[in-house]
Amino acid sequence: MKQPLGVVQGTLELLILRTLATAAPMHGFAILDWIRDTTDDVLIVEDGALYPALRRMEARGWLESDWGVSEKGRRARYYELTPAGRKALAEQAAKWERYVSAMAKLARTKA
Amino acid sequence: MSTPRPPANAPRGPRRWLHHLGIRRVPPETSATWEIEHHLSELVDRLVAEGMQPADAEREATRRFGDRARYVPTMRRLARRQLTRERLMYTWDAVRQSVTSVARTARRYPGYTAGVVITLGLGLGANATMYGIVDRLLLQPPKHIVQPERVRRVFLTRPHPVTGMTTSQDEFTPPDYEDLEAQRTMSVAGYDAGGFSIVGAGAGATQAGTLRASAEYFPLLGVRPHMGRFFSDEEVTPGPPTAAVLSYEFWRRAFGADPDILGRVIEVADDRVPVIGVLPQGFTGVDLRPIDMVLPLFTNFEGDEECLRSRGCYFIHIVARLNDGVGVVTAQAEATRLHQNGRRDQVEAGRWPPEASITLSPLRTARAGPELSAESRVAAWLMGVSVVVLLIACMNVANLLFARMTRQRRELAVRLALGVSRRRLVSHAVLESTLLALTGGVVALGIARWGGQIVRTTLLPDVSFPDSAVGLRVIVFTLMVAVLAGLSAGFGPALQGSRVDIGADLTASGRGSTAKRSRTRDLLTAGQAALSVVLLVGAGLFTRSLSELWGIDLGLDTDRIVVADLEFVGGGLDVASRRDVYALAARRVAQLPGVEAVAGTASPFQTGLAISLRVPELDSLPRFPTLGPYLFAVTPGYFETAGLAITRGRPFAESDGPDRSPVALVSETMARAVWPGQDPIGRCLMVGNGPERCTTVVGVAEDAARNGFTDGAYMGYYLPVAQAVSVQPMGQSIGAPHALYIRGTDPEAIAAAVTPILRTLTPEVRWARVWPMRDSLAGQARSWTLGATMFVAFGLLAVSLAAIGLYAILAFEVAQRTRELGIRVALGAQRARLLRGVLYRGGQVGAAGILAGLVVSYAVAPLAQDLLFEVSPRDPRVLSGVALLLATVSVAASIIPALRATRVDPVTAIRSD
Repeated sequence: MKQPLGVVQGTLELLILRTLATAAPMHGFAILDWIRDTTDDVLIVEDGALYPALRRMEARGWLESDWGVSEKGRRARYYELTPAGRKALAEQAAKWERYVSAMAKLARTKA
Repeated sequence: MSTPRPPANAPRGPRRWLHHLGIRRVPPETSATWEIEHHLSELVDRLVAEGMQPADAEREATRRFGDRARYVPTMRRLARRQLTRERLMYTWDAVRQSVTSVARTARRYPGYTAGVVITLGLGLGANATMYGIVDRLLLQPPKHIVQPERVRRVFLTRPHPVTGMTTSQDEFTPPDYEDLEAQRTMSVAGYDAGGFSIVGAGAGATQAGTLRASAEYFPLLGVRPHMGRFFSDEEVTPGPPTAAVLSYEFWRRAFGADPDILGRVIEVADDRVPVIGVLPQGFTGVDLRPIDMVLPLFTNFEGDEECLRSRGCYFIHIVARLNDGVGVVTAQAEATRLHQNGRRDQVEAGRWPPEASITLSPLRTARAGPELSAESRVAAWLMGVSVVVLLIACMNVANLLFARMTRQRRELAVRLALGVSRRRLVSHAVLESTLLALTGGVVALGIARWGGQIVRTTLLPDVSFPDSAVGLRVIVFTLMVAVLAGLSAGFGPALQGSRVDIGADLTASGRGSTAKRSRTRDLLTAGQAALSVVLLVGAGLFTRSLSELWGIDLGLDTDRIVVADLEFVGGGLDVASRRDVYALAARRVAQLPGVEAVAGTASPFQTGLAISLRVPELDSLPRFPTLGPYLFAVTPGYFETAGLAITRGRPFAESDGPDRSPVALVSETMARAVWPGQDPIGRCLMVGNGPERCTTVVGVAEDAARNGFTDGAYMGYYLPVAQAVSVQPMGQSIGAPHALYIRGTDPEAIAAAVTPILRTLTPEVRWARVWPMRDSLAGQARSWTLGATMFVAFGLLAVSLAAIGLYAILAFEVAQRTRELGIRVALGAQRARLLRGVLYRGGQVGAAGILAGLVVSYAVAPLAQDLLFEVSPRDPRVLSGVALLLATVSVAASIIPALRATRVDPVTAIRSD
């Protein structure tokens, strides 16, 4: 369980960064919607897992957040990327591409 | 599904910072809950929209969210960390902005900035200087003592034999000291503090302040040698000194820090003594006086071994260290019991009071007795005074800041309108004043370095200050006080600045046709005046004390006398040779220019000799609280040299030789007490316990001080040295002088001229100590000198600050009212009227300050009563003098602004902004 969790966490962060990079400030529910739409629900098991990840990324300086009012008139916490976050997105994406292409090569290689 | 858009009111950009400060900051605990609740309600909405029953939808949403109990703590922890980070960043950001802003202000208004920095620098400098002194005198224990809180000074407390008043003394006799060595609740060590030794011989000889210590002394204090070792038990025995320990400072000064000093044999008077150790730097024992050398206790008592066995020879000081877990009361009780046991015979014979007890008092430094020394108490007062000076400086700065805020109202209103929070404005202004104060603190350290040095060397020469005037403790103290001062000076003005009314101040042209008088500013200015009055009253009282003190008629013309004391090779000379050497010295010295008279005395100033004396017609002599009567053996020219008038009869003559009938003079007090209303001339005195023989009184001399300023009346009589050979109090004949008195108008110059002559007078003379008699008194005047000097310095500083403050506020008001004044001039107002108006304002504020200051002084000054000398703390002359001075100063400070008001040119004034 340990090893895949690391992968999942890294994946989740990349997804959040990507999501926020494409749109204006979003609250957690919207972010999750976006990720589910883009990834066909395959990557996120529990909704709640999103929130610690958001907080962690904020503490790292990748995201900034503040309270606002949603279009439904609800009190919601909005997140957006910081310049540091954009840089992190570029790095993470590059890392993932290398990882994915390496895995793809490995998968194609016959044993 | 539509992408959620950010709401219109989501904070962005610069306003984000304000949210971090404002009420919209949500605590980390709540924020996690809110966020999860938002998620759940959105999800429930969606599920219901998809056709689910609300109750089922809620259950489903909770299920999909997952383990809430696991996520919430993580979220909270991270949120808290984030909050801390933001706060730090905000603070850092604010500090950076304030630094930039201060730098900008300093460039734009150099006068204002310099004013604030210098004002605070002076106030803080006074504090830094005094803290350096008080820290040494009162706060820090003497250096190199381990666990100083368990060390005690030992005092002998007993009723005075005549007055019955309880007195404490710190000197014990050797047998009394031995009694206390049996103590089990504490360990004791004895030492003999006073004294000089001559180290080396001939031209290389030097005088070394010497402490004599028991073998237990150093181990008890816990001091470790810089090098070598301290005394062993065998080394501390009566006889010539067997070992010497040098102070670090003396080792460097007199021996060039010789690394091979251990084992080197040095000449100490007539003895050759090996050096066995060097003390650590700055060691002063339990007192604060510098030490040059330590010799074993009980050395150099040749010819006076009697003293070591006598219960009448008081010279040993005792320090004690309480054993672990022993209280002071227990230790005192045991010590008192041991003391009473040791003196049991005397107590039973009624010659020693059964109330005599041993008192232990803590090692608070610079104590002269169980009580704090006068210097220390004065220093504590001066610390308070320096705080008052700082208070004045802060009020002054607050005033400047108020004025600046007023000038900046429009700018502040603009900033508020742009959405800068008031809280941010306040914190910015306070930060700014704190930064200025810190700069002032740096200035203050410079002042303390210079001022502290002066105070130490001129006003407290008997205290050894091992550390520099600006040590770490002083720096930390000063910067801390600087921050405090900056905060307190800046807070009021900042608060006022933040209360700017956007509407009114933004639309007001800023020309301010009339400036409102600020009650706060008036109060601050009057407050400064009041506090300076208090300080000046203190200065006046101490100065009057000092002049009263020096104005005391001591009989002796202390201002004109130089004392010279010869020390001889071989431990002393026989009476005849000593008389010859002093006679030769007197002849030589008399030839020097400026010397008016020379005489010898066997009982120089500040020594007291008392031997038994009877008057045949009386059963007993009157008793005085000062005990006595005291005996002075002098040469014929003594009365003329010392400046003592002969009120009846005649002085001694050269013809009063050893083979002539014995004669004496008595003091006026003695004449009055022994023969009230009768003529003392021709009366008979029976001196000493020798053969029954009359010494005839031939004259009466004016009373003379024996020890200093506050001797009290005492009985004294004089014998010619030539007739006193057989009189031997304490084993030493007084048939020859022990010192010379040299009279002249310039004692310093005479002392300088006499010293080399006497040191090379004859081969028998090892050393001569020569000093103006006034120096012997300076120590007694020290607390008043310290008080007067520092009170005057601080008082003048305070009054200058107050004057500047008053000037600044009036100048500012005139500048603000330029337009109004211009209009009035244009309408034909008389300039004299305008002048009067401003002067009146200045006078009003000044008068309020003076009045308040006088009231405070009247109430507070009596607290310092026991530090004053012969001056009422409510001395009307001091109070009225100070009031007058302050009144003059307030008018003077108002004149320039007042004149400026009359010179307003109506045309430019009305046009001006």
